[in-house]
Amino acid sequence: MIFARRPWLYFGPAALVAGAIAVALTVTSDHEQHPALATALGLFVSWSFIFAGLIGWSRRPANRTGMLMVAVGFGVLVGSLSEANYSVPFTLGALFGSVFIAVFIHLLLAYPSGELISRKARVLVIAGYATALVAPLLDSMFAARHTCKPHACPDNLVFVSHNHTAHVAQTALWTTATVLLFVAAFSLLVGRWRDATPTLRRILRPVYLAGGISVVLLAVGFIVTPFSGFGGTLVSVALIVTFTAVPFLFLAGLLGTTIARGAGLDTIFSSVPERASPGEVQDGLRQALRDETAEVAYWYEEGGHYVDIDGKRFELPVDTRRRVVTRLDYADDPVAAIVHDAALLEEPELLEGIANAARIALERDKLLVEVRARAQRYFALLQAMPDLMFRISAEGTYLSYNAPNPSDLVEDEVVGRTLWDRLPRDLADRVLAAGRAALAGTPQVIEYTLDFEDRKRHYEGRFAPSGDAEFLMIVREITRRKQQQQELEASRQRIVAAGDDARRKLERNLHDGAQQRLVSVSLSLRLAQAQLEENPAGAQEVLEASREELARALEELRELARGIHPAVLTDRGLEAALESLAARAPLPVEIDGPRASLPAAVEAAAYYVVSEALANVTKYAQASSVKVTVEQVNGCAYVEVADDGVGGADPGRGSGLRGLADRVASLNGKLAIDSPPGAGTRVRAEIPLE
Amino acid sequence: MDMTVLIVDDHPSFRTSARELLEAEGYEIIGEAENGTTALRAVEELKPDLVLLDVQLPDMDGFQVAEQLCKLADPPAVVLTSSRDSADYGSCIQICGAHGFVPKADLSGAAIAALLTA
Repeated sequence: MIFARRPWLYFGPAALVAGAIAVALTVTSDHEQHPALATALGLFVSWSFIFAGLIGWSRRPANRTGMLMVAVGFGVLVGSLSEANYSVPFTLGALFGSVFIAVFIHLLLAYPSGELISRKARVLVIAGYATALVAPLLDSMFAARHTCKPHACPDNLVFVSHNHTAHVAQTALWTTATVLLFVAAFSLLVGRWRDATPTLRRILRPVYLAGGISVVLLAVGFIVTPFSGFGGTLVSVALIVTFTAVPFLFLAGLLGTTIARGAGLDTIFSSVPERASPGEVQDGLRQALRDETAEVAYWYEEGGHYVDIDGKRFELPVDTRRRVVTRLDYADDPVAAIVHDAALLEEPELLEGIANAARIALERDKLLVEVRARAQRYFALLQAMPDLMFRISAEGTYLSYNAPNPSDLVEDEVVGRTLWDRLPRDLADRVLAAGRAALAGTPQVIEYTLDFEDRKRHYEGRFAPSGDAEFLMIVREITRRKQQQQELEASRQRIVAAGDDARRKLERNLHDGAQQRLVSVSLSLRLAQAQLEENPAGAQEVLEASREELARALEELRELARGIHPAVLTDRGLEAALESLAARAPLPVEIDGPRASLPAAVEAAAYYVVSEALANVTKYAQASSVKVTVEQVNGCAYVEVADDGVGGADPGRGSGLRGLADRVASLNGKLAIDSPPGAGTRVRAEIPLE
Repeated sequence: MDMTVLIVDDHPSFRTSARELLEAEGYEIIGEAENGTTALRAVEELKPDLVLLDVQLPDMDGFQVAEQLCKLADPPAVVLTSSRDSADYGSCIQICGAHGFVPKADLSGAAIAALLTA
């Protein structure tokens, strides 16, 4: 509509002209009993609505409230046509003089957005317009006999009959319908009020108060006027007051928004401290927007989402009738968002002004909130870590802690206590020294042991600065690692000792065996040499004995060499080596596998497992047979020696099995011995092939 | 008069070979012992002129036996022997009071005589 952009230009003069016509008609009216009063009232009421409506219209062109108010004002002026002394304007005034009431109802139900939100409201407004058009028509058609002074009124052009029954019937019908409409309108207003948020109520309050009372009075007037002239007058006076108050209260609301906007800007720029916390900024915004429920969300660039004033992730809600989001962007980049009462959309100039002002403050706060969000994320990360953590001041006082497993704490009470309260003195000193060194910029790691009721537990403490005068101590229990380390060291020592022992045994065997025999041979040869000439037969005897001694020495050397490393294993592989072991065993040995060759170290380990196990079977098991199985399953070699002997073998007994366990462990394997009494013994080695 | 000898060694085969060799060279073997304890007892009993003493014995080593023998009122001459080399024993041979050392493989009456006259 062309006039929508500049309503004053068209409706200002129109109001003046219409007002002048109304004055002229009223003052010259033959049937108006109080022309001066009617003129004054008519002009005051109509122009009030038109004036207030035009202000609202120009301030918020998209909102129909202003337009509806202007329509009410003109509607009132249309009623003045019934003051005319001529039939046509008189009839038109009578027919259309009540339309302004329907427009007024429309205005109230659509306030403050100018839109009829509910279906009920739309139906009611349509019914209102229909009633305002049809009721006066029927009333004019079947008019009462004396509505004017005798012969004072001009002819009613749509008059049909003075039939009393018809008149009473249509009056009763339309009075009832109208009153019902007013009741329905009033109940809608009450429902809307009940449903309203505090902010919406603040906006609704003045107009609803005056408008609601006007609706009630209109209904009462319709009921009272036919029965009591005085009552009707009384109601009319009250109605004029409340009805006329509506445009003024509407104006006051508009003015209030303007004042609030100024005050709000003042709040944002003056009342909120310069170095405000995000919480103070949010409070300032709530005050400025006059919405206690408003929330501020900051855009967190790094995370790609919004965060609240505490730095926690914040999902913007979907706009609803009650709550909406106003996004504050800067050059298409999100800065922040305000989640607020949807009613604030009815005060766009307030919202826009405050939002613009807030954007500057929020842009500044964004950095702070980003830092918080980052801190929040790191905190969550720390919380998720399985380690024990303490924040400790540079003076050695516990500030906070995180204990995923409370049983890790030496004492339950932590915060506020000092290192020396909770830890042995020397450890407390070490912790503080490490913490201070970390504060000076060198990350620190210490290891320590604590005595718990049941056992000693080993820990590793890592230190990092967590502020100007505090550090973080991250504690991880390493008891298991320590145990494994100790086991590994013990195993290494045993392997070295076993090597030494084997060499010692070898030297002893060489010395006691082959070497002694060779010495004897040497002495015998010397003897034979001495006897050669004088006693050749004796020399021959000695030489014969020497040859036998030499043969025994060679056999012993072969046996020894086999003990050092079986040549058959190197030359012909594990299967042949196991067969040779089986052949030398004093009881039947069944061999199953191996089906493929294995790495040399694994074959050697397998050979010694079988060799030692067979030696034990021979010595202790009293078995009648043994089965040796070597197989490859899922990347592991399994070597098993099972006998049908007496069982009850003790895995801890003797160095042989322990040495085997070490040998297998050195290949990351495991040795298991299952030997229930009376049910044979099963030695099983599992060696991974990778 | 032939020199009387006590052979101390835990290996019977050596004792037999040494006896035959030394007897062939004119020594009189008056006894054998297989360990330190029996050796000390045999010396007290038999009063040999010479003890051919193996270093490695099952109960105590030859050096300890030699030291004890030196403490006797009328100690016999002691010659240590071993299938190991003398260098394996460092200065023990000199300290214990023995007359010397002869490797088992080089054992002969002449070698012993050389040590005793040295």
